[in-house]
Amino acid sequence: MSQNWTEELGEPLSTFLEVPVEVERVELIPGGASKDTCVVDAVTPERELELLVRRAAGGTIYSDTLSLEQECKVLQAAYKAGIKTPKPYGYLEDLAGREAFVMERLEGESVGRRIVQKPEFETTREVLPKQLAEELSKIHAISLEQLPSLPGGRIGPAADYVLSTLERELDALEEPHPVIELGLSWLREHVPVSHGTVLNHGDFRVGNFLVDEEGLVGILDWEFAHLGDPVEDLAWPLVRAWRFGKDHLRLGGIGEAEPYLEHYNTLAGRQVTLEELFYWEVAGNVRWAIGSLNQAKRHLSGQERNVELAVIGRLASEVEYEILSLLERGS
Amino acid sequence: MQDRPSADELVRAVREFLEAEILPDLDDPRARFRTRVAMNALNILERELEQEETLLREELARLAALLGEDPATPDSLEKLKARVIELNRDLAQSIRQGEVPEGTLERLKQTVTDKLKVASPRYLERYE
Repeated sequence: MSQNWTEELGEPLSTFLEVPVEVERVELIPGGASKDTCVVDAVTPERELELLVRRAAGGTIYSDTLSLEQECKVLQAAYKAGIKTPKPYGYLEDLAGREAFVMERLEGESVGRRIVQKPEFETTREVLPKQLAEELSKIHAISLEQLPSLPGGRIGPAADYVLSTLERELDALEEPHPVIELGLSWLREHVPVSHGTVLNHGDFRVGNFLVDEEGLVGILDWEFAHLGDPVEDLAWPLVRAWRFGKDHLRLGGIGEAEPYLEHYNTLAGRQVTLEELFYWEVAGNVRWAIGSLNQAKRHLSGQERNVELAVIGRLASEVEYEILSLLERGS
Repeated sequence: MQDRPSADELVRAVREFLEAEILPDLDDPRARFRTRVAMNALNILERELEQEETLLREELARLAALLGEDPATPDSLEKLKARVIELNRDLAQSIRQGEVPEGTLERLKQTVTDKLKVASPRYLERYE
């Protein structure tokens, strides 16, 4: 496969960049069920290029996952809006038989546990909450006209769309989960005021942030981008599963939620309250409980046999425990 | 009845083999990680073999109390599991229809705590 890539990638890259490009190295990064990611080194007469290529590897897993073409368009809009992301070079309809897109490869660390725990990221952890608030305010300001057609509710309160989606996904599991039902029931009864419909990154959390020792380098993984309430995105990094061992720090194991919220409100010109943030934190946990069970289902259905996915199914009870603890606090 | 080793003793033998003989020779970080995950799966299984029936009986009692159902425990493990699934289905349906029996949250929390005693005891220990 690597051979095909090397041979076929030079030509479209030359077209994107309007100079002759020679591909020197292609290396597949393991992991990723529906998409392959490849490290690609290439040269032009003037410079060396460090690239990542995302290429389809089969069907998509969730109905609301973006196609590579949509993901590339969202990334282009985000990059144009000055958001810290890898620079997208372009979309390829047919790269050795499958769709793909090419982007810049940024240097840095994205592994959550290291970012949260390693001493060399102490400065990063101090500056990151404000940087995240700033990037998110910019993402939420992108005009919807610049975007491809995306999943999510365009009209009406985003919560209604989210709740019916979660309910549908839970039903698709075909197993009874009273804890998740209880979470959904609380969410139905406490729907907050809508803050409108904006572009959501969709997976904005530690693990998808590339950092170096000074701070944020880039926001990664735009494949779950959708339209939704801004607070849905704002609360997702608070979900306990993304705290990587520093559970007392509600914002992804790196900071408190309040300064992050305040900075976001100032920059975005919104008045999101702590109660609204809490509501979407509950929603995030419900989403992730269903997500965990879905991961196990990928294993159980034979779609992707993998012991990691199998065990994640059992860890859904961690998320259930968090849901019930939040409901105790919220009642 | 099978001869020894018993089920839990067999599981432990495999887990110890992975830990003592496979893990130390692995260099690839991904293979190391997956081996640890596999060991964790066996740990879960060991705890489950020990506690499964007791925890199911307790879950059944809580569900029956919430739903006003017959709390009698079936006479086989298989029937016990089927009954717990059935009652969970009734409770899930009832909550979906907007009827949440009093004490649901507390009782479900006890059940989830028991699930975690098998699936992830350390999560409970460090939860604050």
